[in-house]
Amino acid sequence: MLLTIRNMGGQGTLLFVSILLYIFAAAASLVLMKRHKICNIVSNTLCILAATAGIAASIIEIFFNQALTDIHIFQSTIPLLSIDIKMDKLSAFFVLCLSVLVVCVSLYSIGYISHYYGKRNVGLFNFMYATFILSMLFVMISGNAVFFFIAWEVMAMISYFLVVFESEQEENQRAGKLYVIMTHIGTAFLLIGFMIMYSYTKSFDMFASSAAIPPFAKNIIFIMFLIGFGTKAGVIPVHIWLPHAHPAAPSNVSALMSGIMIKTAIYGILRFVFSYLGIQNTWWGVTILVIGIVSAVLGVAYAFVEKNIKRLLAYSSIENIGIIFIGLGVAFIAQAQGNSTVCALAITAALFHSFNHTLFKGSLFLGAGSVHYATHTKNMEELGGLIKKMPVTALFFLGGALSIAAVVPFNGFISEWLTYQSLFATITPGQSVINILSILTVAVLAMAGALAAASIIKLYGISFLGLPRSDHAAKATEVPGIMNIGMGILVSLCLLAGLFPMAVLQGIDKVTLGLTGLSILGRLKGGFLLAFYPMNISGNAISPAVIVGVLAGVILTVLIVIRMIGGKYIERKYGTWDCGFEALSERMQYSATGFSKPIKIVFKALFRPTRSIKIEGDLTYHPESIEYTVSAEPIFEKYLYGPLVRAVKNFSKKIKFRIQTGSIHTYLIYIFLAVLALMLYNRLS
Amino acid sequence: MINVVYAVIQIVVLVLAAPLVNGIIKKVKALTQKRKGAPLFQMYYDLFKMCKKTVVVSDVSSWILKVTPYIVFSTAVAAGLLVPVTTLIQPGWFTGDIIIVVAIFALGRFFMMLAALDTASTFGGMGSSREAMISSLIEPSILVTLFTIGLTAKSTALFPIMNFMKSTGTPLIHPVYIIAFITFFIIIITETSRIPVDDPSTHLELTMVHEAMLLEYSGRNLALMELGAAIKQLVFITLLVNIFIPLDQLIGVAGIAAVAISLGIYLIKVVCVSIIIAVIEVSTVKLRLFSIPNLAALSFILSFLGFLQYFVFGR
Amino acid sequence: MSDYLDVLSVLILLSSFILMANKRTKSHIRTFRIQAAMIALAAGIMGIDSLYKEGQFDLLVVCAVIIAIKVIYIPHLLKKVDANVEYKVEKDFFLNIPILIIGCCFIVVFTYFSISTSEGINAGTLNMRVVNSVSLILIGLFFMISRKKAIGQIVGFLVIENGIFVTAMFATQGMPFIVDMGMFIDLLSAVMILGIMVFKINEKFKSVDINKLKNLRG
Repeated sequence: MLLTIRNMGGQGTLLFVSILLYIFAAAASLVLMKRHKICNIVSNTLCILAATAGIAASIIEIFFNQALTDIHIFQSTIPLLSIDIKMDKLSAFFVLCLSVLVVCVSLYSIGYISHYYGKRNVGLFNFMYATFILSMLFVMISGNAVFFFIAWEVMAMISYFLVVFESEQEENQRAGKLYVIMTHIGTAFLLIGFMIMYSYTKSFDMFASSAAIPPFAKNIIFIMFLIGFGTKAGVIPVHIWLPHAHPAAPSNVSALMSGIMIKTAIYGILRFVFSYLGIQNTWWGVTILVIGIVSAVLGVAYAFVEKNIKRLLAYSSIENIGIIFIGLGVAFIAQAQGNSTVCALAITAALFHSFNHTLFKGSLFLGAGSVHYATHTKNMEELGGLIKKMPVTALFFLGGALSIAAVVPFNGFISEWLTYQSLFATITPGQSVINILSILTVAVLAMAGALAAASIIKLYGISFLGLPRSDHAAKATEVPGIMNIGMGILVSLCLLAGLFPMAVLQGIDKVTLGLTGLSILGRLKGGFLLAFYPMNISGNAISPAVIVGVLAGVILTVLIVIRMIGGKYIERKYGTWDCGFEALSERMQYSATGFSKPIKIVFKALFRPTRSIKIEGDLTYHPESIEYTVSAEPIFEKYLYGPLVRAVKNFSKKIKFRIQTGSIHTYLIYIFLAVLALMLYNRLS
Repeated sequence: MINVVYAVIQIVVLVLAAPLVNGIIKKVKALTQKRKGAPLFQMYYDLFKMCKKTVVVSDVSSWILKVTPYIVFSTAVAAGLLVPVTTLIQPGWFTGDIIIVVAIFALGRFFMMLAALDTASTFGGMGSSREAMISSLIEPSILVTLFTIGLTAKSTALFPIMNFMKSTGTPLIHPVYIIAFITFFIIIITETSRIPVDDPSTHLELTMVHEAMLLEYSGRNLALMELGAAIKQLVFITLLVNIFIPLDQLIGVAGIAAVAISLGIYLIKVVCVSIIIAVIEVSTVKLRLFSIPNLAALSFILSFLGFLQYFVFGR
Repeated sequence: MSDYLDVLSVLILLSSFILMANKRTKSHIRTFRIQAAMIALAAGIMGIDSLYKEGQFDLLVVCAVIIAIKVIYIPHLLKKVDANVEYKVEKDFFLNIPILIIGCCFIVVFTYFSISTSEGINAGTLNMRVVNSVSLILIGLFFMISRKKAIGQIVGFLVIENGIFVTAMFATQGMPFIVDMGMFIDLLSAVMILGIMVFKINEKFKSVDINKLKNLRG
């Protein structure tokens, strides 16, 4: 067991400190298990400190370091089992995303977990929380494939326990079961990929060269990795666990899962497929692009018809992962055709969108958690009017909503713009299939963007605006301030990244430089002032800061002009227009189901809605109550997974009685035959 | 210095000419119905009157209802600044391309839809949900059309596109541009809520989409929303006329006289397009709400067809 | 001149899309009329051009014949048939209209892929005009498949006819005169017979729903 440190530098020390602090946080929460409040505060504060060290380490690595950081912690006597840490700029980028999110989520948790005091095992929760973050950190900085795999497994298992933390509700148990099965299917594919990799190169080092692997094996490894990482990322068709698991977990864990856990899959694809295998065929990129398109449009279509806040946000995560896959697909296609500038641009777009998604999805899940804390319900149909009861939360939630809708001063728009620009650069007269695919992607991105904006308007409008639809919502109060601080930091980062995209782009550009050898900011000089320049990609420039300045200027001018024309602002409050009814109640506003009805009808073929109406009461024209239920058919579960599961069950039933006969003699014969076979194998090889 | 001149010309022309477009459309509709109709400048008088009135605000609503008119108006003006009304002056700091123009309008639409839900009225929810359907169905064709035009000009920024169009002579005689022109017309009708997609002068909830979202505004808020919608309409018309019917290269003189002539030609083009829009309004009926996907599908497929024509011709 | 022909070929294809998106029989007839007018215009332009260059006015005669038959007479015939039948709108479809329109788009893409590698067609601007015209034939056939009522079938048949004519015209700058004339007489007689048949069917069975032919089985 020896500890070798190569090229550690300042960032290596910080990274080491960060790991140690996470371990302390986990240990402290176990020690303080009985005293809930202290445990919560201590553990989360240690996590915040650890994450701050992580931010510092990653920033130093991205901006100032030239080679990669290499720390060898353990070298045990078991061959191939060593804790090997290598952080290069790609890892540092994802560590930065993770750490920023952890700071804010931990701040939030200090307030959020307080509603578990005395009811559940807070110490166990914080232990699992800290270990979960640590496992994700190890996934991102692992230096060899075995350690990566172990960290991946630990991440999956701990997140299962976190998902079923509120285990008395049956839907949480079902969600956890589905999650653990799906993630292990994915991990199995990853394992096969790693095994094939080992059999050709005889090493698990993914920073080495992959030249020893022949092309057809690379194709197979690509497919294995795509399915394995795709399951974790939640792309269609292996997404069925995501809309159940993310809502079932407590909200701070949902924020982490949706914010950064699905990004570890993106990291995996970039690290293993792009850096290690190297893109050799165009069809790799085309497959990823098609998967991205399907995920984007189906994800947001399902999001739009949901009425559970967290499930809507989970489906929206599927959509955003689809957009990131679109960026990756374009990059891979460009790389396979030797077009490095487009490749660099597309990878920048994908990485920027990952960063943005972490920030805004994290803040939205934290907001959903605040709503749940205040009203104890996640169902939009029971909320309403929260903007008056929880003004600060509502304001920050609006910021997150504007980011996810990709409107101008926030960061969601910047990464969508970059994706559009990369698609624009891909379309050149010549290759017809790629061109048609690219323009279809533009159309799909546009529709997905508009539907995503509509879904978040539905979420915000129905939950926060209008009149409260139930007692829970009417009695809600503002959440503790520290929860709002956590959310507020994320939203302000969204706004800053949107106003000054060049600042973020400089960092991402260095990562792209490391990955593809090409920098899209290559010729611009100016140091830090670059942050204020308009973002210029091959002549098409946008400057969000100027636009915001213009907006502010116009608003000011308008206020002055109207004051001059119309005099002082006099306002009179009156009821909403009710057509003379005078009995406007909260039942008359639009409900979540009603809001999504037009789209449900337009896309009937996708949703296949079924409706049932139950009328009670004997008089036809004055019934006592009418119950109207409309449900969408879960297509993937019914037509893809249902038959698969049934086939597996039937097959198992059939061979169960052949193999497990219950007779001791059969089992002894099995052992005998196995020993004989092994001895024969030894002789033959 | 040239930036200030550019900004002033853009804002003055767009803000002042926008109500005129509405006036022309209403006048043409009235004349075809054998009425005399309201004066051409009626909308200006209406806006002034509305600014002086008291604002009535619903007691259920929050600050979002009061902030929205300002955001809708300023986004319309900001997007307008990025779409040059005359191609003889080069915009300096106001760099932006077609994607950001669409996104700025999306910001305005976001707040408009949100504020409609703010008042807990059924009209507002209805307007929002219908607007959600229509806007998400028409967005693909907007982006594909603009991308096709940008691909022919090899840039997505508007000033280079308009310059490129000037240099191609009469764009309408190319198959790509004529399809894009027709698709863009359908887009204008959808985005500015004209018949056959939505009726701008209706008061029946059966036929309301845009009007439903405006129901709860009064006084200066209503004035700002109406003017914002008019400016959005004018910006789209500007995109249409300046990209597809470029006449600036025929101006012989130079200097301030050239700019004045260019603005005059622009206004004439806008008047012609307004008359065409009015004629279309008069001669078709408003489509049933669930027939709008047919129109949107047609428009998307046409824009895709335009793209196909482009990349085969390579122009 | 070739620019105008490109634009006309695209507009003819566009009119076929508008035809597909419509549900009313009067619009079908009107759109068909516009399509025929544009074909006549294209033939006229090519005719004037060939008049200047070679002194032949075949295509101008063809243009006049098209105007006489397809723009004036056949729509008139169809309107008479339409006036005697009681339905005016097709209400139910096998597939809804957006899917039909997307299907038409697939047809255009498919035509492009299958034709663009044929020899002799790869000559720049000739390429897209031929693709547009061949797609017109296929869209006409698709139109016949998607409509249930008889008037729709007739209009679909006419669009196929249009497509064949336009393909020949764009690909070869005009077929031999005799072939053109023969085609027109064929077309005219076919439409007259179809018109009479629809009238008779309506009289006998009180409906022109083609689907009801299934009742005649067995």
